[in-house]
Amino acid sequence: MNAAISARLAEVTMETLERLAFLFASPAPETEAAAESPLETVRVDFTGHFTGGMELALSASVLAELAGNMLGAGEGTTLSTDEQRDALRELANVVCGNMLPAIAGGEHEFNIHTPYLASADGPEWDDPAGLSRLVLENGVCRVRMRVDGGLPQELAATPRNPAGQG
Amino acid sequence: MAVNILIVDDSGVMRSMVQKAMQLSGLAIGEVHQASHGQEGLAALEAHWIDLVIADINMPVMNGEEMIEHMHARPELKAIPTIVISTEGSQTRIERLQSKGVRFIHKPFSPEMIRDTLKDVLGHEVFHERSH
Repeated sequence: MNAAISARLAEVTMETLERLAFLFASPAPETEAAAESPLETVRVDFTGHFTGGMELALSASVLAELAGNMLGAGEGTTLSTDEQRDALRELANVVCGNMLPAIAGGEHEFNIHTPYLASADGPEWDDPAGLSRLVLENGVCRVRMRVDGGLPQELAATPRNPAGQG
Repeated sequence: MAVNILIVDDSGVMRSMVQKAMQLSGLAIGEVHQASHGQEGLAALEAHWIDLVIADINMPVMNGEEMIEHMHARPELKAIPTIVISTEGSQTRIERLQSKGVRFIHKPFSPEMIRDTLKDVLGHEVFHERSH
């Protein structure tokens, strides 16, 4: 696992949660890492300068708040399961879209595919390139990145600073 | 004059967020049409009078860049103001779109970013006057 990629995942996810949905997150202490319970998981694949995927898992207890904040729903409004999952897919899309230039720099093009809900019996990612665990007020968020065939050589050692993104 | 808008994004939540931000901007909004990918967007452009197109880039079936290329190949669609709202991080792709006259807003966006870009693109005449 690449520590720099893990750090970028945490930074980009925290910023996106805050700006997109007014949810505040912080890196999870190691002792809380195992305290994950029911998570809704979305994956998004990408191709381009390098190929891979990103997985974002969020406590089911946070989903309604995520969707409600994104849509500006009034208090007491209950959004449908479809709307909540669409909000989670869009969160993953925005995190992935902002993470790739943070890692690869703004000069490279990537195609981000449609995010999809990960099924429980889907393939595991045994050796992610990066992993970040965050805590929110009412749950946790776990983000992982998969790179197929490894990072390009120039990025493997020192992924770009987010300031280099376009 | 009210502005007829087409919002093209594969996320229904994002289409709603964009529409809400446009309503908050004070823009005089006429009809709002929605499409979930570029091909649907082109069909909507055929079927309705549209004054402004808001489009994402990464979408299934036909992405936003392809849709804009199709629009630019059609004289009657080429001049419709178009704003791309996307997570796109490639400066190369952004500059390619900007060279076609397309404006770009990065996701996540603020309502103020939407308002300011709309005023730049459409002018102040199509905004409601605020009393405060």
